[in-house]
Amino acid sequence: MKNEKTAALAAQPVRNKKMGFSWSTYFKRYWTLYLLLLLPITFFIIFRYIPMAYILMAFKKNNIIKPPWQVAWAKNYGFEWFIRAFNDQLFIRALENTVKLNLLDLICGFPAPILMALVLNELAFKRFKRFTQTVLYLPHFLSWIIISSLAVRLLADNDGLINILYKQMTGNKDAVIPFLSQPSWWVGTYIGMGIWKEAGWGTIIYLAALTSISPELYEAAAVDGAGRFRRIWHVTLPGLRPTIITLLIMRLGYILGSEFDRPLAMSNTLVTDVSTVISIYVYQKGINGGGLFSQTTAVGLFQSVVGVLFLFMANFLAKRFGERGIM
Amino acid sequence: MKRILALFLALIMLCAVAVTANAADELVDGKFAETRHITVRLFQRGDNVPEESPWAEYIRQGMLEKYNVEVEFAVGGRWTETDDLGNLLAAGIAPDIIYTYSYSTILTYADMDGIIDLAPYIEQYKDLLPNLFGLLGEDNVYWDKDPDTGKLWALETRLVNNARINTFIRKDWLDKLGMSLPTTKAQFEECLIAFRDNAELLLGADAAKMVPYSTSQDIGWRNNILTVSFVPDDITDEELYIRGYDDRQQFLPGAKEAMRLLNKWYNEGLVWKDFALYGSGDTTEDDNLKAGFVGAFQHNYDYPYRNGDDSISANLKRNVGPDAEFVAVDCFENDAGVYRKYLGSTVDRKVCFPSTNDEILASLLYLDFISSPETILALQTGVEGINHERAENGAYMMKAVDPTDPHYQASLNNIDFTMTCNGQYLGDYTEASFAYGYAPVDPEVVQNAYIVAMNGGRVPAHFSLPAIEAEVGIGTTLSTERDTFLNKAVTASVEDFDAVYDAGVANYMAIGGEAIMLERAEKIQIATGYVFVK
Repeated sequence: MKNEKTAALAAQPVRNKKMGFSWSTYFKRYWTLYLLLLLPITFFIIFRYIPMAYILMAFKKNNIIKPPWQVAWAKNYGFEWFIRAFNDQLFIRALENTVKLNLLDLICGFPAPILMALVLNELAFKRFKRFTQTVLYLPHFLSWIIISSLAVRLLADNDGLINILYKQMTGNKDAVIPFLSQPSWWVGTYIGMGIWKEAGWGTIIYLAALTSISPELYEAAAVDGAGRFRRIWHVTLPGLRPTIITLLIMRLGYILGSEFDRPLAMSNTLVTDVSTVISIYVYQKGINGGGLFSQTTAVGLFQSVVGVLFLFMANFLAKRFGERGIM
Repeated sequence: MKRILALFLALIMLCAVAVTANAADELVDGKFAETRHITVRLFQRGDNVPEESPWAEYIRQGMLEKYNVEVEFAVGGRWTETDDLGNLLAAGIAPDIIYTYSYSTILTYADMDGIIDLAPYIEQYKDLLPNLFGLLGEDNVYWDKDPDTGKLWALETRLVNNARINTFIRKDWLDKLGMSLPTTKAQFEECLIAFRDNAELLLGADAAKMVPYSTSQDIGWRNNILTVSFVPDDITDEELYIRGYDDRQQFLPGAKEAMRLLNKWYNEGLVWKDFALYGSGDTTEDDNLKAGFVGAFQHNYDYPYRNGDDSISANLKRNVGPDAEFVAVDCFENDAGVYRKYLGSTVDRKVCFPSTNDEILASLLYLDFISSPETILALQTGVEGINHERAENGAYMMKAVDPTDPHYQASLNNIDFTMTCNGQYLGDYTEASFAYGYAPVDPEVVQNAYIVAMNGGRVPAHFSLPAIEAEVGIGTTLSTERDTFLNKAVTASVEDFDAVYDAGVANYMAIGGEAIMLERAEKIQIATGYVFVK
């Protein structure tokens, strides 16, 4: 919609001419803009739209050797693989885990950068603020593989640094905090690591939004006798509201989405009951020797459809609450 | 003039007919008239460049000279072989000759018409493949032939040495504690307890790092001898087959009691606490072994001796002292008092051709070439003076080669190149050379490990049955679930063990284990009349 608006605005001067709207004049004037669009659109066509043809695999017999349009339809009017997936308790487990971990991530992980941005915003020393920001961004640039190795070295039951120190402190050889080996602890570690890695990076967009709040509002609030917390509550947070809503909508669209490298790297055999998410299920059942390509495509399709539904729902709710939404 | 022209034309036609009509059509004097080109899968381990090694060169030259076939190696990681195979087949760029350890992976792709049925070609070209048949034997060649459909998707290559798993223990520690080598389960447990209780004496400042018994998340393999020692000795071949889809033997009667013992050890602090946290291929456990923190473990029968100067054995001596040594012991007796081990059969990796292969004869000739005794000898023993020296009795004494040297063999016995042969195969010198294959490890130690590994060995029987449909596409899922529940059961508290273990088995059976068992039972009943009772 946004694009249409800009296009309409751009077309304004052309329409004002005597002849009415003329495509040739329009293109003569704006062809460079379309030229700029060409490359990204080609990218999307090749890497996003053409592969969509292979969604057909979800409805066909399991075969990745032949292109899906040459393969016979699967049983049950093509829905065989969806039925099988929903009868597979491993898939149900993966679905549950995905929703649980994503909800926890949303509840704990979503407010973290907001809080952090508020704190950073209040820092008076410019240099200290910049230094802190940089330190907070750094973990974002480490891959999950590195972070998971760090986690094992630090948190393992027997050889992990923290548990070694803990054992020495308590003087009890068997005292162990099972960060990685007990499902409930593991979930905490997983969420915590996620916040540590991404919260700092997430502050960027909020800090940018903060710069657009007029200082006059703060001054006015101060004149009216608002203290620091009152100013945060009545000026800063309302200023951030559109950004928060936009990001929340995008996060909700991702509720069934699942990262791949994070759970893969962080998981171990003791916690698969809580750590196997849909992406891992797809990996194991599909390319990692499982060979069930149609079923995993079906699962992926299901994931995307639910994601889109959530996105529309969140957008609708946002509009109901008087925000602009993203669509 | 006309007559000469006619004669000339007739000659050309004759030649053309001769070239196209012959059964082994393209071969002239056993050689292709035109140079052919094939691509061959080659595993890579670590950071070596296998396609530039002298072994690759040997094969390329040999094939070109003997058959006029150009060989190109398609290199891929050893530890991602199944993933890679799928991707290559899907993209239609699989090498002409591929191989894998997983037959169910081959079945999966055969179902998609991605694999060539070799049966007709083997019949047609049998006479041209004397070395292949010589090495593999009819048994291995037709091992996977479906008795109903006659289809043959893969050739089972030869496992020369079928020793499988051993129990290793630190003899120097036992000496230090005044204990003798254990000969029963009870004695073995006493050894572990003694290691735990004397950590200070054995490891000094590193006492906290003591691991009396080490294992990995692959519980089934790494405690296989323990498992098998609880299986009744009189279990029948049919029973072994029906319940034996899992190659770790974890679903045979008695396996649960074995895991119960391991669980008890774990809770008594005898087992490495962190084993479940590290995935396959992780080196943390090996590092512990090399550093000398570990008292005992079960693994491949020659595991501590592999990799020359970087072997566990060599590192242990460097880090701890010349006396430090892991020796193989027999101490897991079963109900008949036998140190039972289930050995590998005669089959190893499975070679197949993808449907994109249009050089079937050239590919079969490649297999014949690398199956010839001379080729295997050359690839396994390498260059005299660099890879080996000859003993007086003619035995090949292998030398440790620096990993940066191009003559370094990244896999034991160079099996990455001898695709059809796993294990030393040196003709008359095989037996005499075996123990020398692990320089710088003392040949006597190696010989002992081999004898122990074979003692009480039983080779599970092979039944020629139609393909078991329930096995297709489920292998990885089942083995992952097996590892998961065994890890949980072993690390559970003693009171929870039964609940965790039983739930794990029930889940394994529900997601496909039982279907395989029942289908195997059904097909074996048709073939032999054996009646299976669940």
